[in-house]
Amino acid sequence: MSLTNPEDSLERQNEKLRKISESLMRRVEYGAAHSSAAYAQFERAALLEKQVRERTTQLEKTLDLLHDSNARLAQANLETEAARSNLANAIETVHEGFALFDPDDIMVMCNSRFCRDFLDMLDMLHPGLPFAEYVDRISRSPHLALPEGESSARWAARRIRRHQDRHVMFNAQLTGDRWLQVSEHRTTNGGTVILQTDVTDILRLERQARDRLKDKQAQMIHATLDHLNQGVCIFDEEAQLVGWNFKIGALLSLPARRLHLGASFPVLLGHIDGELAFSKGIDRDGFRDWALSKAHRPPISFEVTHSEGMVLHIFGREMPDRGFVISCTDITAEREAAHRLTEMNEDLEQRVMERTLELEDALNAAERANASKSRFVAAASHDLLQPLSAAKLFISSLADKSAGDSDRAILEKAESALSGAEKIIDALLDISKLESGQISFDVRPMALSEIFRPLRDEMGILAARKGLDLRIVDSSLVVESDPSYLRRILQNLLGNAVRYTSTGRIVMGVRRREGGARIEVWDTGAGIAKHDQDSIFEEFRRLDTTASTNEGLGLGLAIVERACVKLGHPLGLWSEPGRGSCFMVTVPVASLPHHVTSTARPTPRPLRLAQSGLIVLLVENDPALRRAITILIESWGVSVIEATDAASALDLLDDLEITPDALLLDYQLGRGMNGVELYDAITARFGPLPGSIISANRTEPLDQFCTARGLEFLPKPLDRHRLSAVLDAAATSRAQTTEA
Amino acid sequence: MHAALRSAQVDWRDPDALESLHAQLGAGEFAFVGLFVTPEADFAAVVAAAQDKFTDTCVCACTTAGELGSAGYEDGQIVAVGLPAAHFATASYVIDDLHALEPQAQIDRLIQTRMALSRAWPRMSQEFAFVMIDGLSLAEEHLTSVLSTGLGPVPLFGGSAGDGTRFSKAWLACDGVVSRNSAVITLVRTTCPVRVFSLDHLMPTDRRMVVTGADPARRIVHEINAEPAAQEYARLLGKDPQQLDPFTFAAHPVVVRLGESHHVRAIQRVDEDGNLVFFSAINEGMVLTLADHQDMAEHLERGLAELAVDGAPDQILGCDCILRRIEAGQTQKSREISRILSENRVVGFGTYGEQIGGLHVNQTFTGVAIYPPATES
Repeated sequence: MSLTNPEDSLERQNEKLRKISESLMRRVEYGAAHSSAAYAQFERAALLEKQVRERTTQLEKTLDLLHDSNARLAQANLETEAARSNLANAIETVHEGFALFDPDDIMVMCNSRFCRDFLDMLDMLHPGLPFAEYVDRISRSPHLALPEGESSARWAARRIRRHQDRHVMFNAQLTGDRWLQVSEHRTTNGGTVILQTDVTDILRLERQARDRLKDKQAQMIHATLDHLNQGVCIFDEEAQLVGWNFKIGALLSLPARRLHLGASFPVLLGHIDGELAFSKGIDRDGFRDWALSKAHRPPISFEVTHSEGMVLHIFGREMPDRGFVISCTDITAEREAAHRLTEMNEDLEQRVMERTLELEDALNAAERANASKSRFVAAASHDLLQPLSAAKLFISSLADKSAGDSDRAILEKAESALSGAEKIIDALLDISKLESGQISFDVRPMALSEIFRPLRDEMGILAARKGLDLRIVDSSLVVESDPSYLRRILQNLLGNAVRYTSTGRIVMGVRRREGGARIEVWDTGAGIAKHDQDSIFEEFRRLDTTASTNEGLGLGLAIVERACVKLGHPLGLWSEPGRGSCFMVTVPVASLPHHVTSTARPTPRPLRLAQSGLIVLLVENDPALRRAITILIESWGVSVIEATDAASALDLLDDLEITPDALLLDYQLGRGMNGVELYDAITARFGPLPGSIISANRTEPLDQFCTARGLEFLPKPLDRHRLSAVLDAAATSRAQTTEA
Repeated sequence: MHAALRSAQVDWRDPDALESLHAQLGAGEFAFVGLFVTPEADFAAVVAAAQDKFTDTCVCACTTAGELGSAGYEDGQIVAVGLPAAHFATASYVIDDLHALEPQAQIDRLIQTRMALSRAWPRMSQEFAFVMIDGLSLAEEHLTSVLSTGLGPVPLFGGSAGDGTRFSKAWLACDGVVSRNSAVITLVRTTCPVRVFSLDHLMPTDRRMVVTGADPARRIVHEINAEPAAQEYARLLGKDPQQLDPFTFAAHPVVVRLGESHHVRAIQRVDEDGNLVFFSAINEGMVLTLADHQDMAEHLERGLAELAVDGAPDQILGCDCILRRIEAGQTQKSREISRILSENRVVGFGTYGEQIGGLHVNQTFTGVAIYPPATES
């Protein structure tokens, strides 16, 4: 729809358009100026509506914020005022004078106690007071007691200088002996808090306490000095007397009038000059020089002897204030006591020396006596055994040859008697060896049955002879011991039992005890009274005095006891008179199973020797024994080549040009080679030969030698069974080599 | 629970109208009572009776061009709204002789009144201003312009008091004083959340006309497009100039475009000289644009629904342009609109124009939505 009506004429339309455009142009050109107020307001309102509303809203908001800020400002002001008022109240309750200066050193506030004593300043103590002015006025105040010789200006300058320090604390004196302690504290923003504390009372109390303490200390020191048992005097750095006790006067015989405050050291020394003798590296001048020395004095210590014989120990020491203390001790008594002790000591040493020499002599004598006794016993036993052996061999030979029964009985008795003597001598030898300590044991695992069986055979006969019942309970235990000595021990115990038991029975058995086997020998004999139980182990002690000497000299238990001690086998005894006794020997059980080598039993009679045609070389320097052995061996059908010593033996072998089948060599062959050396010489020439070394003293090296060479050791007196066994073995080995 | 806003209505013929209204509003103290009185009634008598009934309450009243009551569009009614003192504080005053208005004095008075109210009731944080103005005073633009200056951020709304379809005399009253050619301003503070709104369902078309001759002071347009105004308006609508009537004006409003926005310039009537008399300010050289309607009911429903997005308002105090009622009648929408208004608990009156902010506008539904008070702990 157009602005003009198309039905109008063009002129009309044109006219209308012109009018329209004129209206529009007028409106555009004049705008609101020519319009009606109402429409203009409408238009303006419409156009500005939005903007105005926004602006107004912003303005309102701003106003609100302003109100809010104002309210908060007011609140803050209130709070500030309250805080200030609180602070003022707070510092007013402080007992110290309090002032606050800002970072520019202008007073912010102070309480009423601040500078209260400076009455002339009260009118100027207000906020705004500069610090410098405050100090200036204080310094000129008549209430301030300036330190001696210091002017107000200098005091103020010093005070201002102190103010630069981070922490300030000093005491200021006021007139009338009053004191203020002034301290400065920095606040975090660089301001200063000044506190003034009245310390007059504190200082006065302190002063009084110090004075009291000084007096008390002086009294205590004096009392302590007088209490001392030493003389003490104290000098100041000028070597003038400032303190002493009564004792010093007494010790040094100094008259009391000489000892007064300020008395000089040299003068005092002069008074006692003639009466003292110095010792131990210092003289009078040295002592004086020490006292008057201007340098540091090291501690000094020496002794002086008084003319009255009193010895004094002097000790001097410097004090921190360069004065010195001298103490003086009476040591006369100590010195005398020490002297007496020295004398006594010398006397005692002399006596000990004398006694020691005496004892050494006695010991030597005893040792000599003991050695000669042992040597005597050994030699005697040896010398006695030689003829005994010979006699026994002769009797044996005679018995073999003799046919008559009566003769044989006599011969048996003779042999028995000789055997008895032999046993006694054996026992004596044993004891001598056990006591001399020259014995060595062959301790090794052994089966008890090894010795039980021979003992049963041996002792069974003795017991049967007395009509006693002997029972030996065999044991399979293996123990650690020396077989020959254990056998001897048990043999002696059984022998004793048989000997001292008239009727009843004897039992030997073994009980296992922890760690050991206890071999017990029980009898039904007379028993041993309690008080006799210790003495039965002594030599030559026999309780039954009626027993025949033939049955022993009472050496059996002595040997048992000594052998048990040496072997470490505990020996026990239980006995009750009238009931019987029990001897107990405890031996350790061998830890490892033992392969028991049973001793080869010698054939009682060398039946085969006669057919063997054996040739034996016998070297024996004792003619009687050589003869006896020869007769015995030859009686077995064995040929004997005899020699007295090694040289003749070797010569003889050379002459005869034969190799013996076995060797019987005495160990002790007089001069020249001994039996062992001879054996080596012969085997060197003829190769190894079986045989035996014969000796009365069985020693370890000899034993080892024999074992090493496979030789049988035959102890004297000779046992014919063992001798025949040796020869039998030689014959057997010879037969085997010949066959081979 | 009582609604924040109380309302009541009686037929004007009811002999004990005020008694009834007083009873309907219920007990309790009121900060303000507004009466929207049908021009049928004896306005002065009603005001006097109200003064007797509501002795301690500020009663303001105006005549209407129809009422908005419990049944939506109503006629011949006296509608009362009461603002309970529990939730509202108000200050009302009259501005007489609108043509002799002194802007600065009015602005000062408004600000002072507002500040006094604010100080007295600081805890009532919500506020708005309600104006009733003589719809025949031709001074609405001037007044709103002055008021908006003094109100600042306080939202203002109001309506031009009418005289039915007679366009003869409109009356106002405040505190028992009856006047014409005046306005009654009421400043309201409340604990209830409020929202002032204005709904306009018109859309500008591309059919424009230029006012080539006018008498702005009397809101009369003589010539449009250099032709007699009514004749040219009719030609543009394709109608017989003799048949122009309020229904035509309601159906074919014109708007003036100012920048992005447009404002309805409603036509009141055709005078005997073939001039067009407007409801609001006009000017020579202004360009008027014909506007089309959207569906009014639908638009209203949508607009009111928007107000209820964050919770439905307790009640709405509204000013509804008389042309809308005419249009509704023409388009058979009266019942529907009434239903919508009723459902949304709208009370108020029909106007000769509405005020929103600093503007005087036409053919809108303008009012305030009052929401339930914030629950006080």
